[in-house]
Amino acid sequence: MSSTAPDSQVSLLAGALVDANDQLLALYELASITADSLDEGEVVTRILLRAQKLLQTDALILNTATPYSVGEPSAIDDLATAQHSDFAGQSVVASSTCTLDTGQQITVSALRRESEFGTADNKLLDAVATMLAGAVNTARLHEVAVTQAVMASDHETASQLAQSALPRWLPNLPGADLFARSEPARSAGGDLYCYEVIDGVLHFAVGDVSGKGLPAALMMTNVISASKAAFHRHSSEGSAAMLRAVDLWVHRSLSDAGMFVTLLLGSFDPASRELQLSNAGHSPVFLERNGVLEPRLAHHPPVGVLPIDEPEQSSEILASGDRLVVASDGITEQMGNDGGMFGDDRLHDLIDANPKMSAAELGALLFDRVEMFAGTAPQGDDRTLFIVNAVPEESNE
Amino acid sequence: MNIITTVSEVELQGRFDAHEAEAFRELADNALQNSADLRVVLTAVDFVDSTALAELVRAMKRCREAGGDLTLVKPSAPVRVILELTKLDAAFTIV
Repeated sequence: MSSTAPDSQVSLLAGALVDANDQLLALYELASITADSLDEGEVVTRILLRAQKLLQTDALILNTATPYSVGEPSAIDDLATAQHSDFAGQSVVASSTCTLDTGQQITVSALRRESEFGTADNKLLDAVATMLAGAVNTARLHEVAVTQAVMASDHETASQLAQSALPRWLPNLPGADLFARSEPARSAGGDLYCYEVIDGVLHFAVGDVSGKGLPAALMMTNVISASKAAFHRHSSEGSAAMLRAVDLWVHRSLSDAGMFVTLLLGSFDPASRELQLSNAGHSPVFLERNGVLEPRLAHHPPVGVLPIDEPEQSSEILASGDRLVVASDGITEQMGNDGGMFGDDRLHDLIDANPKMSAAELGALLFDRVEMFAGTAPQGDDRTLFIVNAVPEESNE
Repeated sequence: MNIITTVSEVELQGRFDAHEAEAFRELADNALQNSADLRVVLTAVDFVDSTALAELVRAMKRCREAGGDLTLVKPSAPVRVILELTKLDAAFTIV
């Protein structure tokens, strides 16, 4: 037995197939839009324009934090009014809502003045809403990624600028054999050293700002500026006066930021061989005199903890061969593969075992030994060494 | 009206370094909402770094600004050495 469908049913079926094919083509065209742009405004407008044509609407509005619309101004106004008042007049309004990755909802609304929306139209509008949500998500993720990349670049630049505050050259000062090096654990660190030779006398500062990264590095540049100002204005009054000046300059800003800086300020006069030290919480500091190597303890807590009202200083006359070695805790607290720390004792013993080395040789040796000790363990903190060897004045001219 | 102040006590163990500093800050800030006096027991702490010391200093200042004090209780030998080397033993109340 066979049956033949009425022409009207065949016509309806053919129409439905054509409509379905048109919808598939429409979706394909919509999908191709989002792949070639990451600008939210551009891609949303292009999708709306394409959707307006495919859906044969008079207006389309996408409600987001920044609304987008396409169509004749009067139709857009009608659609906006209809959305707010649920009044569509003689026109027909359809809408579809999607949720963004942020949880925020977006709604795309369409207005037709001359025909109703069918089931296929509503499905297409749903697809448009989904497409718009995907495009907005992608565009915003891209924007966040670009912003983060710019911030990372700015951070790197600021870090490099902060590190450039450390002096690159050592002064050639007869009677003093010098070494200075700082290796930050990150692109920027809080360890510092600086020096100036004024009237043949070496004035120096070695310190460590608490904390890590860019905040410590920015504070470090502030401490270097204060120390250099103190060298020029107060060095003739002694190292205690320099510490007092630095404390007055930076105590408040450190304290407000919840930071402090361990800071050793000193002066070495090669002519008289006098070494002055004022130490606010910095460790380790070793002084070797007549072949005896001993730690020098701090006179005060670090700068930024409590105001230093009456700074102290030590003063001693060095002999040729005596030397001062100032390190930062990134040297002594470096962890090794076995979980132990490099330690003050190991640093002491290495200095003690190499009494004839130049400052540069000893500095290189100590950095090498710390690196060897660390093995595969990461650098835990900034590493800084500052060495002054008292030598005959003619030896390094 | 009677105001009763209590002394908050925090006991730390193991390494106290940059990794633990944020947790300590939160703990100390919460404790300081109840009292201007804070006791930090350091008997079982075997290491403090400069970031941790900065957190202790910050908490000490907050206590003193509120009319109280931060007391370091029985610091272990390694912690006491670090406090002495940095002369922070002169800044803190230690019992």
